[in-house]
Amino acid sequence: MSKTSGMRKLLWSGIAASVLALSAIAATPAKAAEAREELRAQFDKDLKGKTVAWVPVWLGVLESEWTRVMKAHFDDYGMKLEVRDANFKSDVQLQAVSELINERPDVLVVQNPNVTLLAKELKRAMDAGIYVVQVNMASNTLTDAYVGVDAKDMGRRLAKNIIGDCGGGKGSGEISILEGEATAAYSLDMKNGAMEVFKTDPSIKVVSSQPTSWDANKAGEVTATVLQQHPDLCGILSVWGPQAAGAAQVIKAAGKSDKTKIYVASDGQPADCDLLEQGAFYRNLSYRADTQGEAIADAVIGLLQSGDKPGTKRLAFYTVPAWVNSKDDRAYCFTVPKDAK
Amino acid sequence: MQGVPLSVRKPSQTMAILAMCVVVILVFSVALKGFLTVGNLFALSRNISILGILALGMAIVVIGRGLDLSQVASLAVSTAIAIIVMNAGYPTAIALLIGLGLAIAIGVLNGFLISVVEMPPLLTTLASSLAVLGVTRTVAVQHYVVYLAKGHDDFLRLGGNIWGGVPAPVLVFIAMAILVHLFLSRTVLGRFVYAHGDNPDAARLTGLPTRPLTMMEYGLSAAIGYVGGVVMISETALMHLQVAESTLIFDVIMVVVLGGVSLVGGRGNVMSVVVGTLLIGVLLNGMTIMDMDVQTQNIIKGIVLLVAIVLDSYLNPRDEETSKQGD
Repeated sequence: MSKTSGMRKLLWSGIAASVLALSAIAATPAKAAEAREELRAQFDKDLKGKTVAWVPVWLGVLESEWTRVMKAHFDDYGMKLEVRDANFKSDVQLQAVSELINERPDVLVVQNPNVTLLAKELKRAMDAGIYVVQVNMASNTLTDAYVGVDAKDMGRRLAKNIIGDCGGGKGSGEISILEGEATAAYSLDMKNGAMEVFKTDPSIKVVSSQPTSWDANKAGEVTATVLQQHPDLCGILSVWGPQAAGAAQVIKAAGKSDKTKIYVASDGQPADCDLLEQGAFYRNLSYRADTQGEAIADAVIGLLQSGDKPGTKRLAFYTVPAWVNSKDDRAYCFTVPKDAK
Repeated sequence: MQGVPLSVRKPSQTMAILAMCVVVILVFSVALKGFLTVGNLFALSRNISILGILALGMAIVVIGRGLDLSQVASLAVSTAIAIIVMNAGYPTAIALLIGLGLAIAIGVLNGFLISVVEMPPLLTTLASSLAVLGVTRTVAVQHYVVYLAKGHDDFLRLGGNIWGGVPAPVLVFIAMAILVHLFLSRTVLGRFVYAHGDNPDAARLTGLPTRPLTMMEYGLSAAIGYVGGVVMISETALMHLQVAESTLIFDVIMVVVLGGVSLVGGRGNVMSVVVGTLLIGVLLNGMTIMDMDVQTQNIIKGIVLLVAIVLDSYLNPRDEETSKQGD
């Protein structure tokens, strides 16, 4: 008896459970469709009509590619992108940022020329309720998000690679560094990172470290002089591609292409891969501006959807660079679509 | 002082700088291992060639009591266009001529604005350099850098070395120096430039065509600057328009003033330019060998320029006759 009642109980509970389960299954699709609709609706609500202000140091190849990718994303989401090209003038850039804070965009994206110029204004922007994203170099003020390379780490990676080729008796161990603008933190960080590593190897001697003001001719002049003093120069570390082209021509003219190798920290612009394929550069440590542009866009829309008060988060999106050794690594240089612009 | 023949009066500053140059060379030769070697002297002369060529052009304008702040912008723009034409498959000579034509047009336009519209040279050339850069960037070179495509090896030889390791750019500099020297000292037009710079009003009253003369001076500055630009691209196979916004133009003016081509006009010659270029070249070379940091380099460059300006105002005191805007 007790056994039967137990069975019945079990049966009933089994039926009840399956009914519940069935009803749940039946209900799920409708609810899920709703939820997915809601997701998109929420996304649109968070993003549509939002304004992103973008102040690069200038609109070079790298920055234009970021801009192109950002714009493609934001256009699609119904957002507005406002670009202010500072054209390498720090006063212009500071002014642009100050003005933009008054215009109250929803997000401010900046590329810092150095660690101090925009630091105060970025704090002011966050206090005013604007999300701030910094690109490729953080200032002394940390903001809601940082997207970009770790320049110091790139310097370390390049230096390790150079030691592998030039140190320990494999080469003369004589290295020259071509910096960018003397005060640019991107260049200084990279140099400091490289020096950290170079100092650990007694077979390496950094014979020259000179700024070139991002100028190919200046890089060529420095290299011509250094090459005279150190004919066995093994490696040249250049913090940027276009300037290294000048050094490459000097090395070619001196007939030392197979002795002195150029290592470039590349922003992935197409010409850097071209020059490597032509044998002018030996190895590039390259990051791709197009994927970086996507990361910037993602940081922006992430912040807009987060609902956090500006200034509360410190997100970082570090770019992973890749080595370019031959034309097989072309993927690590970006290509600008023909119909862009 | 004005009546004293140029050849007698001028060399003073040039000689002072030359002496300074000799001293620096002697010091470097003793103190720096590897300074006084044939290879380094070739490297040194290669490095000063472009600066020297630009300074030759600038000197013509400055002797005519003007100033051309647009020289580097105009060479950057016109060589960038020349590269684009070359890349499009046109013969190198044609491309280079198109660039030259453009450079001269910019120069003559500067001269027109200064002499006919009577705008001050400083502002005119500052504005025109911004304008030509802006236009070029909008229509032709969006990203500031334009690379010469593969397959122009003959052209690139201009930036290489010739027999015995002599850098070809030096030969261009020497050839340009001789041409400009002959022009300034042996031709009537060249003497007109001195007259124009020495006393523009007197020159006009005497019947010199000062307006066309001004256009010619700026046209020559741009054309000679363009030659420097062509050497530049033959050395690097690219043109980065940002050079127009670098301190290069001030280095050019520094070299010109340093050697004794006074900003008051009518003074100086090719020798002044060569000597000024040499001093800067030797200093830069020595500082690079020493791997000096950039702040120290700037301090030394600044002091040298200040010394040159003090020397200039001591030797060529400003007075009513030579005063002008900006003084």
